[in-house]
Amino acid sequence: MNQVPHAARSRVTERDRVQELTARLSEAEETIRAIYSGEVDAVVVNHPSGPRVYTLEGADHPYRVMVEKMHEGTVTLSGDRLILYSNPQFAHMMESTSESVAGAEFEKFLGPADTNLFTALVEASVARGYSTGELDLRTPSGTIVPVRLSVTPIDVVGMQNLCILISDLREQRRNEAILKEERLSRLILEQAGEAIVVIDPHGMIVRRSESANRLARSRVLMTPFHRMFPLTASSRPFETSHILSAARDGQHIQGLEVAMPQPDGDPRALLVSISPLAFDDGIGCVVTLTDITERKRSEEALARQAGELSHSNSDLRQFAYSASHDLREPLRQLAVFSELLQAKYRDQLPADANVLIQHAVDSAHRMEGLLKDLLAYTQAADAPQDGVASSDANRVIEKTLSIFETQIREIGARVDHEFLPVLAVHDVHLTQLFQNLIGNALKYRSQEPPRIRISAGRLDGMWKLTVADNGIGIDPAYHNQVFGIFQRLHGGSKYSGSGIGLAICHKLVQRYGGRIWVDSEPGQGSQFMFTLPEKKNEGQ
Amino acid sequence: MKGNNLEQLSLLVVEDSPADVFLVQEAMKEEGLECHLEVADDGEKAIRILDEVDAGSQSAPHLLLVDLNVPRQSGTKVLERLRQSPRCANTPVIMMSTSDTPTERKRALELGATDYFCKPSSLAEFMKLGKLLRRLLEKQPAAA
Repeated sequence: MNQVPHAARSRVTERDRVQELTARLSEAEETIRAIYSGEVDAVVVNHPSGPRVYTLEGADHPYRVMVEKMHEGTVTLSGDRLILYSNPQFAHMMESTSESVAGAEFEKFLGPADTNLFTALVEASVARGYSTGELDLRTPSGTIVPVRLSVTPIDVVGMQNLCILISDLREQRRNEAILKEERLSRLILEQAGEAIVVIDPHGMIVRRSESANRLARSRVLMTPFHRMFPLTASSRPFETSHILSAARDGQHIQGLEVAMPQPDGDPRALLVSISPLAFDDGIGCVVTLTDITERKRSEEALARQAGELSHSNSDLRQFAYSASHDLREPLRQLAVFSELLQAKYRDQLPADANVLIQHAVDSAHRMEGLLKDLLAYTQAADAPQDGVASSDANRVIEKTLSIFETQIREIGARVDHEFLPVLAVHDVHLTQLFQNLIGNALKYRSQEPPRIRISAGRLDGMWKLTVADNGIGIDPAYHNQVFGIFQRLHGGSKYSGSGIGLAICHKLVQRYGGRIWVDSEPGQGSQFMFTLPEKKNEGQ
Repeated sequence: MKGNNLEQLSLLVVEDSPADVFLVQEAMKEEGLECHLEVADDGEKAIRILDEVDAGSQSAPHLLLVDLNVPRQSGTKVLERLRQSPRCANTPVIMMSTSDTPTERKRALELGATDYFCKPSSLAEFMKLGKLLRRLLEKQPAAA
């Protein structure tokens, strides 16, 4: 502020007086000029009680208008942080009116976490004359407004006030978020494993992923799509015009298989997906090309291997079937002719010859039994020609027990079972399972009369069936071995058998995705457990 | 008395195993059947015989005993040919095999076999074939 001192009157000579008045006049003229030109907005006048400030209304007015109309919010706070003045922008920012804001505590508009930050800003401004920082304001309705505060302490006639400029950062934050989103999208597009291109309504590639360049082996941006990607679908050209006309019809194409010829080898197999995309001058589209050449190759290799495997499995089954079937023929004849020899010449043979012949017959019969079992094993997992995979375990148990009826009665066995579920397996397979397990429980019995109990429970989303007995039990060392083919733990003299029953059970259970295992100790009985899928009710 | 009147009848056995032909003869002897027995050791020969029967150059058999697994033409082919024959479409046929699966029995009966005989590995069981042959032969009009 320019100040014009007012000289005290003094007694001087006339010439001095004129000189002094001339000087004062020019000083006054200078002051008026300064006031006119706006260089001066207040005048300090010396007064007996001290200097007084006179502000010029015309000078103050433009600043007030600026403050009222400017984009930023501004407030003046008293020393105890009451809002002395708020411009309409701050009030608007706080979804309030200037009148309701004036006189309020500024802290009322601070986010709860930001009170300390504000205090620090104020202290910094006092220390350095100015401070600035970003924090969150909160409107009475709870809307959070991110802002930048510029704090300047001002000293008005001995009062320490704060002048605060408040810039709303919401739009800036939004722009930043959009920018970040866009950067991310661009990054995703560029890094995508699939080749992605955006085609404008004229068939030009206007955006592309890096992988699109790699697939085309060229820079594809701003080139016609069909030139870079001469695709064919079912050996016919897959024209860009078709793609665009489909896009114009609002069609989405998902995973259509196309081929892309290669200058130096077999065409690559691609899956193409197309989504329409609106441009200012029409409908373009986003095209995604997934290279499935390798996947197809490995699928084909896998299918070939599976085919070979199934072929060799079926060969093996055929072999086992033929072997067991064709071997039985001469064996049967061997047995019958041995008997015939015995029958015809019994009287002419020495006594021990009959015993020897009997051994030969027994051996032939035993081998025939083995072959029969081997045949059963090779056919165990084959689905029966007729019938659906549904089996009521209660019915199957009753049927199985009727097979063993005589034996059960003779050895005084007791077999009981809980109410059992209906399983999604073929009757013949469940019958084989129970027949083998119950048969074993009756065969490998201890001195006690056999007690056999069949129960059911849930396990891993399947039914678990348990056949528990009080028989001789199995050493845990052999728990896995017993399910192998031709595995026997006992000599034929004590317990006869081919050692194939549990192998059949194992194969059957596996066929349905279940498993079979045993829990047993010698002399403690055995619990054979197996899991099978449950029969789902189909609208019953 | 075991049917002397069956002597006039003839039996066609389609079987490639001489051992089994021998056993069939044993079973017939056991049962006292002394009818005429002709053997075809493969399916083609059997079909040729049927052709000759239809052409009238050979007399028709009164019963066929056909093994399922014979060379060149299977036993089922022979059965099919027989059922188309103008002269002996209704002649009884026993199909036989070492196999005892229900499917084979079912299939044979579906194709028009009169009975099915599973060749057993016990002598006593095999000899029961004689009784089966007698039962079917006695039903023949020529046996009366």
